[in-house]
Amino acid sequence: MIRDITIGQYYPANSKLHRLDPRVKIMCTLLYLISLFLFDNIGGYIVATVFLVSVIRMSKVPFKFIVRGLRPIIMLLMITVLFNLFLTKAGDVIFKVWILQVTDEGLETAFFMAIRLIYLILGSSLMTFTTTPNALTDGIEKLLWPFQKIKLPVHEIAMMMSIALRFIPILLEETDKIMKAQIARGADLESGNIIQKAKAMIPILVPLFVSAFRRANDLAMAMEARCYRGGEGRTKMKPLVYEKKDYIAYAITIIYFLVALSA
Amino acid sequence: MSMIKTKNLVFEYEKRDDEGNIIGAHRAIDEVNLDIEPGQFIAILGHNGSGKSTLAKHMNAILAPSEGTMWVDGKDTGEEENIWDVRQTAGMVFQNPDNQIIGTVVEEDVGFGPENLGVPTDEIWKRVEESLSAVGMIEYRHHSPNKLSGGQKQRVAIAGVVAMRPKCIVLDEPTAMLDPNGRKEVLRTVEELRRKEHVTVILITHYMEEVIGADRVIVMDRGHVVMDGTTREIFGQVDLLKKYRLDVPQVTLLGYELKKKGYDIPDGILSVDELLEALEKCKAVDVKTKASEVFNRKKGTVISEKQQPILKLDHVNYVYSPGTAYEKHAVKDINLDIYEGQFIGVIGHTGSGKSTLIQHLNGLIKATDGALYYKGENIYSEKYNLRELRNNVGLVFQYPEHQLFEIDVLSDVCFGPKNQGLSDEEAKERALEALKLVGLPEKYYEASPFDLSGGQKRRVAIAGVLAMKPKVLVLDEPTAGLDPKGRDEILDQIAYLQRAGNLTVILVSHSMEDIAKYVDRIVVMNKGNKMYDAEPKEVFAHYKELEKVGLAAPQVTYMMHALAERGLQVNTEATTIEEAVETISKALENR
Repeated sequence: MIRDITIGQYYPANSKLHRLDPRVKIMCTLLYLISLFLFDNIGGYIVATVFLVSVIRMSKVPFKFIVRGLRPIIMLLMITVLFNLFLTKAGDVIFKVWILQVTDEGLETAFFMAIRLIYLILGSSLMTFTTTPNALTDGIEKLLWPFQKIKLPVHEIAMMMSIALRFIPILLEETDKIMKAQIARGADLESGNIIQKAKAMIPILVPLFVSAFRRANDLAMAMEARCYRGGEGRTKMKPLVYEKKDYIAYAITIIYFLVALSA
Repeated sequence: MSMIKTKNLVFEYEKRDDEGNIIGAHRAIDEVNLDIEPGQFIAILGHNGSGKSTLAKHMNAILAPSEGTMWVDGKDTGEEENIWDVRQTAGMVFQNPDNQIIGTVVEEDVGFGPENLGVPTDEIWKRVEESLSAVGMIEYRHHSPNKLSGGQKQRVAIAGVVAMRPKCIVLDEPTAMLDPNGRKEVLRTVEELRRKEHVTVILITHYMEEVIGADRVIVMDRGHVVMDGTTREIFGQVDLLKKYRLDVPQVTLLGYELKKKGYDIPDGILSVDELLEALEKCKAVDVKTKASEVFNRKKGTVISEKQQPILKLDHVNYVYSPGTAYEKHAVKDINLDIYEGQFIGVIGHTGSGKSTLIQHLNGLIKATDGALYYKGENIYSEKYNLRELRNNVGLVFQYPEHQLFEIDVLSDVCFGPKNQGLSDEEAKERALEALKLVGLPEKYYEASPFDLSGGQKRRVAIAGVLAMKPKVLVLDEPTAGLDPKGRDEILDQIAYLQRAGNLTVILVSHSMEDIAKYVDRIVVMNKGNKMYDAEPKEVFAHYKELEKVGLAAPQVTYMMHALAERGLQVNTEATTIEEAVETISKALENR
């Protein structure tokens, strides 16, 4: 089912992680992602695993729920693994079939590449699970604020992102419904060559676009009706103020970063 | 000072040709003069396209008058500098609950309005808490709106408006997309707000029952205010309301029908008590026809022992997302025999499994366990052609007009037949036939489906399924969002097709009145189980059990029980107005 996708969704819970300032979560996630690509020995992976596991435990998001977020990237993961497995020429050959050969180094790279990707997705989805999209966009807005000086429409970008996030599940559900409705009218979405398949998407895409525009129109009206007039003069219900816990979180992440790199 | 006042208000939509040149204007509002006092509960009625929504959008300064003036709390809405004051004074709640919630967490959405107004942070929190409490949604403050029911979403939307401290709340068909329980929820909330906060309420609706408590009713037609008065005055004029494609509450209609029969019943009955009082006083003065002894009730199709069901569900189970945290057993061990020519109603509150159930009927979803037979053949067997099944079992989803995609109506209706492998000519023939069946005027055949009105789009979408010549037609809430006349037209057409074409119809509906009027068999779903499966009178006799699972009997049934309790010897099995008139006549004669 299309609505099973969990990437980008918020998981309501009341944990230390949920209460952190979104800016902390964004910056720390970035640091964590960078760290994943900088260390290159087993020690780094161990430190990263310990860090990731403890952060996940702290988040109170069920582990099963987080793992489900990996499902959409399984294909990508497989391809990466296969490429690394068969195309690495260095190292000792473990076995060889036809032109495909697997070396010990290839095995190692493939394995660590898979771990890296999985950790990358887990880490970044943990950020969206623990941060409401609104808080996330607030964080981005605040972090990008200096760029306002070079005429970057920071508030507008943040608002657009927040609305997009709000409508993703709704539009996914709608796609599901329209697909079913057209199948009920005899539409064939599976067979045929690529051109026929593309043509078969028209009865789904047109209604979807029409609906997206209708929703956009309605939403714009609803926002205006509630006195929305851009970022100027707006106050915040949840203004971003760094607290002690946020500085602690920064400190912990920086310590992790340094330990992971030197391990 | 009046809350809302208009003087010769006119609003014109510009009509443009393909190049964007103005080629004419459509007067959505034409010379409207209104004066609404503060603290009142005003209902605005009118068919789809009568201009009532356009009027509502003026009250919030979303639209500015083309001519004339509108004042909200003394402020001219046409003046640029008043816009934000007007929007804060008259808050607006829209029809579609999904399209007006901006926040991804309930409390953040409620805070959106105050944030825009520049209210200080502490004050925002106070207001958010107060308004969520006022609509009874405070325990959901940390939830995602996507996980709420329609009624709950609308209450959040109302809280979002209340948090802006408006003097007046305009609700533009807030209940049109909700189920009966959601509707009750929203109306109760509005009523409470009015009592506690003393705000002016302007409710636009298609449901006549929602209007009974209003101080004043305004009826619009083609941009004009055509009726304006108290509820009793307006509902006393049944014929005139019908002319404007509207309706009256069931109890009013019953009084009206009795009066037509010759009983001395005053116009504009608004409650069962009033009806009883009138019946006690009235002497059968000039009764035209004698009451017949038996109801000419529709009899269920007679099923012979040997007849094979057209569709047979055998221990069908369906589980959503098995093995995950979201696992849901949506349909539990359903056995169902559907025979050719039956008109079956499926009822059940939202989430009872009825939508999941009907998607099994044409193989859109496959039962996790159990079997489904079409004319004796198991559709889950390997060689079975599911596309063939879909040609025979047509499924019309809720809001089917959202699937339209072609450049003109005719091509859209041709989509199904063409998928069946018919030639262009054959498909066109089928499409023309189907369009005639749903009663769409010929002048629209070449028009873009997106230019049609809501009711017309709905017909085109239904025609799109009928053109495939199904033997079984399954409809999920085909009348949702339509005005009373539109509802009757669609259902009458379907009932006609069922009788004339020997079509088997399965109708999913929240309206017990519609179910009672049209179907000969009812299947009641509750928590994935089949609760009842019988003739309407038998099912509705269990009205107390139905209420326990969030359903109800038709209002006529309640009226009959109320009358019987107070000593009038009526047959409580009556479920439609016609039956009620008969049994009341009989009771009065025997008195």
